[in-house]
Amino acid sequence: MPAGVVVAALALASVFFAPRRAPSAAAAPLPSTVLTAATAPSRTAQLALGRTLFDENCSSCHGAKAQGSALAPNLRGLGAGTVDLWVSSGWMPLANPTSQPIRKPSMFDRTQTEAIAGYVASLAPGGLPIPTVDVAGANAAQGFSVFALNCAPCHTITGAGDALADGLSAPSLHGVTAIQVAEAVRSGPGNMPRFGTFTISKQQLADVVAYVTRHIEQPSNPGGLALGGVGPVAEGFVGLFVGVGLCVLIALWIGDRNEREDTGEHGGEHAPPGAAAPPGNDPEVAHV
Amino acid sequence: MIEKLFGWVDDRVALSRSGRHLLNKIFPDHWSFMIGEIALYSFIVLLLTGVFLTLYFVPSGSDVVYHGVYAPLKGQTVSEAFNSTVNLSFQVRGGLLMRQMHHWAANIFVGSIVVHMLRVFFTGAFRRPREANWMIGTTLLILAIFNGFLGYSLPDDLISGTGIRIAFSITESIPFVGTYLGFFLFGGQYPGTAIIPRFFILHVLVLPLIIIGLLAGHLGMLIKHKHAQFRGRGARDDNVVGSPLWPTYAAKAGGFFFLTTGVTALLGAAVQINPIWQYGQYYAYKVSYAVQPDWYMGWLDGALRVMPSWEIHLPGHMVPNVFFPAVLLPGVTFNLIYAWPFIEARLTGDRAEHHLLERPRDQPLRTAIGAAVFAFYFVLFGASATDVLANYLSLSLNFVLWSFRVLCIVVPLIVFPVAYKICVELQSTKGAGQRKRHNVIVRSAEGGYATVSTPEYPGYIQPELDPVPLDHVDLVSAMAADGDEQAEGVYRIPREYR
Amino acid sequence: MSDTTEGQVHGAPDPGAQGLGGPGPGEQGHGGEPAGAAVPVATPVSIGSPQFAVAARHPRRAEGVAAFAFLVALCGFAGFGAAYWQDANNYLLGISLGVAFAAFGFGLVTWGKYLMPRGPFEEPRPQMATTERERAEFVGDFATRGKIAIERRGALGKLMGAAGAVLGVVTLFPLVRSLGPKPDSSMYHTKWRKGARLTSIDNRPVKVDDIEVGGVITVFPENDVGGALSQTVLIRVQATGNVVTGPGKETWGPDGYVAYSKVCTHAGCPVGLYQELTQQLLCPCHQSLFDVETGATPVFGPAPRPLPQLPLYVDAKGYLRAQAGFDEPIGPGFWYRGGSNGSPQ
Repeated sequence: MPAGVVVAALALASVFFAPRRAPSAAAAPLPSTVLTAATAPSRTAQLALGRTLFDENCSSCHGAKAQGSALAPNLRGLGAGTVDLWVSSGWMPLANPTSQPIRKPSMFDRTQTEAIAGYVASLAPGGLPIPTVDVAGANAAQGFSVFALNCAPCHTITGAGDALADGLSAPSLHGVTAIQVAEAVRSGPGNMPRFGTFTISKQQLADVVAYVTRHIEQPSNPGGLALGGVGPVAEGFVGLFVGVGLCVLIALWIGDRNEREDTGEHGGEHAPPGAAAPPGNDPEVAHV
Repeated sequence: MIEKLFGWVDDRVALSRSGRHLLNKIFPDHWSFMIGEIALYSFIVLLLTGVFLTLYFVPSGSDVVYHGVYAPLKGQTVSEAFNSTVNLSFQVRGGLLMRQMHHWAANIFVGSIVVHMLRVFFTGAFRRPREANWMIGTTLLILAIFNGFLGYSLPDDLISGTGIRIAFSITESIPFVGTYLGFFLFGGQYPGTAIIPRFFILHVLVLPLIIIGLLAGHLGMLIKHKHAQFRGRGARDDNVVGSPLWPTYAAKAGGFFFLTTGVTALLGAAVQINPIWQYGQYYAYKVSYAVQPDWYMGWLDGALRVMPSWEIHLPGHMVPNVFFPAVLLPGVTFNLIYAWPFIEARLTGDRAEHHLLERPRDQPLRTAIGAAVFAFYFVLFGASATDVLANYLSLSLNFVLWSFRVLCIVVPLIVFPVAYKICVELQSTKGAGQRKRHNVIVRSAEGGYATVSTPEYPGYIQPELDPVPLDHVDLVSAMAADGDEQAEGVYRIPREYR
Repeated sequence: MSDTTEGQVHGAPDPGAQGLGGPGPGEQGHGGEPAGAAVPVATPVSIGSPQFAVAARHPRRAEGVAAFAFLVALCGFAGFGAAYWQDANNYLLGISLGVAFAAFGFGLVTWGKYLMPRGPFEEPRPQMATTERERAEFVGDFATRGKIAIERRGALGKLMGAAGAVLGVVTLFPLVRSLGPKPDSSMYHTKWRKGARLTSIDNRPVKVDDIEVGGVITVFPENDVGGALSQTVLIRVQATGNVVTGPGKETWGPDGYVAYSKVCTHAGCPVGLYQELTQQLLCPCHQSLFDVETGATPVFGPAPRPLPQLPLYVDAKGYLRAQAGFDEPIGPGFWYRGGSNGSPQ
């Protein structure tokens, strides 16, 4: 399995990102995430690295054996996938244990993240492994349909994200990786519900991942500026302030009957020809 | 040739008898009189682009499998309406541009009607004899909003479908007849199959015809009454001062039409509106977050959001929650707008004819009421974006909603006295609102110094002149007598005056 | 038209302000002389008077600007034609068209604004109110002719009126006879029946082990998959045991499952946002919030009533089924809904 998976994964990733448009650098998921921990050259070395990183960065809140504390939940039995999602998305570690996790660049590179996830997973059985997603055979159109039913209610149909009740929010889906989508769907981080294989089957998950990574990340906007994908709110502002506003400004120019120094350009700021002349003197007639 | 044709027509309909008068129709030169024109021109853009769209749009809710070019929809079961809208966006030359121009023009149409209405209100242009025209204008606003909503609903996409669902709920909330109206309108229980074709014929035929008819009445009365005007040199109740329709306003207004069209086209080119392919087909059980109607329904959506969870239960009956913000509130709003000219006449006892406009400060009470009411609806408009605002400002949704509940009461209460006070202060401040003049020290040729103030409008080359009664000038003979063909200026350009 | 124009054209004072209640206009520099004191003498105005001069100080320059604008418009329209012919993208089409239209309009306005007489001109405006005499004549004509022709044929008029009234009533018939059916029992009952299996949108009946704790799925009765009114949200809030959401509902939530109507009781949107941590359902349209553990009672927002709960049971094969339909009308309120428990009439 190992060597073949690497090749397949890279090939798959290149197929995945080749089509249509070049993905922006920020949005490009790491191809290597398709690998599971099992493919790493030395499992003991990886566990050692994971342990070191965990002790340095995580244990102060989650406990030395990831058993949790008053500050942070128990991580035992959550599986590598859950840990990978929280670390790779930059949600963890938190600067302040009470603050809400927000996405930021991850502190760790891919190897380190997998090491931490592998170490935590090794502490207790169960949980979600880092999933593999076969997007090669995925049908983005099916994914769109599943997305609209299960994801769009919170994340919006364009993946822009929106505020939920009580200060929580469904994050934007821009800039997420294929693996993160799969991990989030299966593990249900935070307020997000868990979607098991009955609600979203393995194939459907691949479809959704394909839809998100192809069409949410690189939406088709042939009509121009997308305005953040938040629909009529932003469109209304543009319509009112740019559309109507521009037309009113034009009206201001057309209706202004006081012709100025220069023709053809309104708002010309030329010094008055007769600054010294008292106002209201005899009309000068423009017979040139 | 043209003369001959004109003569033929003129012999039969006496065009020149009435036409000469029309040529001399005076338009006051003030920008605020042109806001209504924006509405007129964007309506023309709507008609033209709309005709294009009807050539490709299929008004049917029947299922069809999408086989177009947009990959994420391939093989999906969608409605004919959605299918044809996506296809006209992607596979018809210029189709996307026409669709986007149509949608932007609709936004501008309603927006300019509102701004026009504010101008008319705050300057007192609705007073006798223009009360009826004010009411026609109000009707036009209602129809514009309504037709905008219908058009927004036609593509049958996920966002607009949710709007139709809410519209059904609002309809069935009306006491006594609500459920009947809903069933008759939708052809049965929600969602029914009839709504797309019915909305279509209302949107493209019935409402536009009514709008055109009312527009004709609106403009006909404008010609009958002639423009109201601001106070100014030579402006009286029994005249109109400005520039004539021919040729000055023919050029200015005609140019304005093309400029408005240009703005619409540029928006249609550069800013994407309603990308329904990203939203997908509407199904009753699917929904997206951040769903909003187009902005002109926003105040209604905001009212629905800030309304507390009250409803009235009666034995065997109920008055649902949505009735209050979505039926009662617009009903009261528009009836108050209709009645305002008469309410004001009652308040002030002034029932005389007025053709000279007032500045907002001249009527502090009217201005304060108008500003407070407008502020109320503006807050409601903002409330339609509670979720989006909470997300962008990283605030709690609950906090944002409560803020709007408070604001929609507090803001008008603040705006009213502030607007009133500003008006009164402006009245008593000499020179308020006029341009600030700078004092300049000049040195004369003899070496003396003097302090003079700059002209009121630096850079303007001429002060205001007195108006010339156009009817009393025999242009033809006057110009023949002058006979200086070579001079620059008027002799060169407007040949129509000869 | 009565000739009420003032002959005193040059230097005519401005009319008086007519304040109408409230504090009147203050000092505005507009002196006061009441309007209407017209002197019906038309002073000939010379064509050489400054009002007839073009507005521009440099007409040639203005002409150049306008000419340039029309040239841009010409190129723009040609560009649009070329872009259309070549099936160019939306951006090129729109920019060429927009620039062309804007330039065309700009040229035209420049022409009208700078190269035409600067004015101002005036025309008289008749008062709208008619005179007593005009009105008396009209009313007289109308009434006397009407008297002879109509009033003496009273029966005829009444009969005609009756025919018209019948027509008016009859034209309302399509409304109640053909536009749609009258509201029926679908207002009160969904297609959920006793024993109906909970079925996913792709027609798979849900078994008790299919949903994980913290999972959510939209389900329908098996005979109405995709139904707008029977859509129901099924949530597994715990692994085992009955979820008791209220008195009398002790058996409604077997094996940690609860099911609520997905149609919001406020305005009918699908309440699709399940917040697992806080055990709440949020409506995306107007942000009503429902507490899942206490029977979907509304805790925030405009929704006035809880989402109706669907009583569930698990059959011998492990399939989730409805014990019965919803015990109250689902969705938003309506006039005939009855009291808060919504008993069908």
